[in-house]
Amino acid sequence: MKKRLFIRILISYCAVILLVAAIVAVLFSRQIRLLETKQIEESLLHSARLVSLVPFDKTRSNIRFLAQEAGARVTIIDAGGGVLADSRGDVSQMEIHLNRPEVEEARLRGSGKSVRRSSTLRDDEMYVALAVRDEKGIKGYVRMSRSLKEVEDSVQRMYGFLYRTIGLALLPTLLLALVFTRRIFQPIREIRDYTQAIRRGDHSGTLLVKASDELGQLAEAINYLVEEYREKIQLAHEEKGKLEAALASMVEGVVVLDSQGRIESSNRGIETILDRQSSEIHGGSILEAFMSADLQKALERFRRERTPVLEEIRLGGKQPNIVDVNISAIQGLPADEEKTLLVFHDVTRLKKLEQMRTDFVANVTHEISTPLTAIIGFLQTLLAGALEDKETARKFLRIIASNAERLSRLVDDLLTLSSIELNETNLKLESLSVDSLIRTVLPMVEYSAAEKKIALDAIIPEEVPKILADRDRAVQVLMNVLHNAVKFTPEEGRVTLSCREDETRDWVVLQIKDTGIGIPSQEIPRLGERFYRVDKARSREMGGTGLGLSIVKHLMATHGGTMEIASAVGKGTTVSLFFKRAP
Amino acid sequence: MVDRRHTSTHYEKELKELKDGLLYLGGLAENAIKNALQALVERNSELARMVIADDAAIDQLDSENEDRCIRILALRQPAARDLRFIATAIKINGHLERIGDMAVNIAEKVLLLNEEPQLKPYVDIPRMAEITQKMIRQSLDSLIREDVDLADQVRREDENVDNLNEQVFRELLTFMIQDPRTIRTALLIMQIAKNLERISDHAEGIADMVIYLVTGKSVRHNDSLEPKGRMA
Repeated sequence: MKKRLFIRILISYCAVILLVAAIVAVLFSRQIRLLETKQIEESLLHSARLVSLVPFDKTRSNIRFLAQEAGARVTIIDAGGGVLADSRGDVSQMEIHLNRPEVEEARLRGSGKSVRRSSTLRDDEMYVALAVRDEKGIKGYVRMSRSLKEVEDSVQRMYGFLYRTIGLALLPTLLLALVFTRRIFQPIREIRDYTQAIRRGDHSGTLLVKASDELGQLAEAINYLVEEYREKIQLAHEEKGKLEAALASMVEGVVVLDSQGRIESSNRGIETILDRQSSEIHGGSILEAFMSADLQKALERFRRERTPVLEEIRLGGKQPNIVDVNISAIQGLPADEEKTLLVFHDVTRLKKLEQMRTDFVANVTHEISTPLTAIIGFLQTLLAGALEDKETARKFLRIIASNAERLSRLVDDLLTLSSIELNETNLKLESLSVDSLIRTVLPMVEYSAAEKKIALDAIIPEEVPKILADRDRAVQVLMNVLHNAVKFTPEEGRVTLSCREDETRDWVVLQIKDTGIGIPSQEIPRLGERFYRVDKARSREMGGTGLGLSIVKHLMATHGGTMEIASAVGKGTTVSLFFKRAP
Repeated sequence: MVDRRHTSTHYEKELKELKDGLLYLGGLAENAIKNALQALVERNSELARMVIADDAAIDQLDSENEDRCIRILALRQPAARDLRFIATAIKINGHLERIGDMAVNIAEKVLLLNEEPQLKPYVDIPRMAEITQKMIRQSLDSLIREDVDLADQVRREDENVDNLNEQVFRELLTFMIQDPRTIRTALLIMQIAKNLERISDHAEGIADMVIYLVTGKSVRHNDSLEPKGRMA
């Protein structure tokens, strides 16, 4: 760019110089020709006058001498036009000269001149003729002629001088062009570099141009623009950052489709829902990412109806989940760049909770109605006359009593559970020795264990630290777990209660291990649910309310501890209770 | 073909449309199996009839996909890998359409079964259906990602379905021996299991095509008998 600028400046400078030179050449050469011709003409005329004073006879004999002295050709012509003498050439061969323009003019006016190419020489020649008169009229003519070559020579000399001048002028011109180029180019280059840097994304610094001319003003304008641009970018960055942060922190999954239906962007919520990296799904279609025909149907419905679509969809894949998807168009974009927004709301947990609530109501109703049916049935039988038969009546009343007890247990458990859930239980946390706790609990299950010939062992190392718990609640927890252990262990089995300190020394673990029927592994996660029974018929047969473990789970949680269950079908179950260690 | 640069964006769009069409068909087939099985477990004849009615959509998409393949073959004259993809797509399309038909078969059997008392709670058959759905999904996933390992995983899964099928067969056999009145019901259930087993074969077929597409090697007739899991 610099080279081109330089060449351009140089060329224009040279052009100016050459133009001036050309004008000078034309004007000067004309002037020189004019002046010199005039001079020659006058000197020829002067010489002719001198020659004409000399009588023709004398002139004829001395013509060569005269010519030499005058520096011109001398021709003596008689009145009839015949050449009497000529300083150049042989007279006898010369034609009549009367019709020559200068001679003719001299005949009429006394003197005449003409410029033409001489027949003898190649150059232009000036001819001046003078009529020589005596009292009888024109006696003859003296014609002087000289080549105009010296005029041309002068012009040529002038040209030569001009060429040298141009040559001499070119060097300073070159330097001048260089200097000017540099002076103009320096700020231009700075502006160029600066704007290019901005285009590359480097927005730092300002443009420093010292020039106070238009370039300086341009630089200032650019600085102003860049400043504004920088502020806009900053603003856009901030906005974008805010938006991205909002999108990323959203629990909902968000997907933006471009006009081609390809995934343009997505947020972290989608990664959780799909269990895939965002980068894996970008550029692909919704089908590629979700592989859900239902979602595709919803999307097609949206494209057909152009109104937002809300749909509940089950997604398959690694972790099947239920999502509410909301499909809508992003507003304010040109029609050919239309983008579609899909917002996914994971409602799997919600659905599960809904299911649990429905199940709970159904269960409670069922659990209550079963003993009630029995009670009402037997009461009606009694009223119908069975009361008279004392033996039967007693039997029936026992059944009624046992069912009523079961109802009462159920209501108790439900109350306990709901009070725990409502955080109404005020735990009276104290340091409890595990030993004393177990000594309180064991006698409560000893009877039922002995009935089934189950060996009940407690292995409590002496150095076990105390636990931080509410005494009554801790007893309840242990009772429930031990009850279950005894209940689900066949005759002549074994229930072992052991205790140890956790590796982190933050927890004391109470472990109740039985040799019972065990629990299938897929059922274990559901054990804490209310009314959840692994084997529904059998468990109810054994008089459970289906709330025992649920209470344990909740109580452990309010204690800040946890319950873990490990089990193998047919081999037995181990329940580990993690209590906080007393400080 | 995501990594390929095609000179014609139109061509590229056609290939993408075809791929989406296959995925859509796969999704519909998967849904059909899911619904047919739900109809079986819940004894829901309404749902079973819906599966049968919905097959029309599967058939239509099947022919649309086929048209796409043929159009690309005719107009674009694909070479090398693209050609292999089109060939693969035609076969996968066929597999998926057949899977849809199998789901219809199952739904038809469900309608008949619902006229009879329930023989036993279903344990193995829902498990089979679950595995086959996963196989279809994974086989298509392996197609998108061109993931040979995943495709291979699908092929190995087929054995589990075969085993479950035989387990169902043995179990139903004992029912039939004990009580001849259960024979009709038991045979219907057996056919459902057989259909699921065939679906898993089709899913395996899709996985085979993916392996062929990516590696250029045909694994279809290796290391297993064909047809698979024929009952003794």
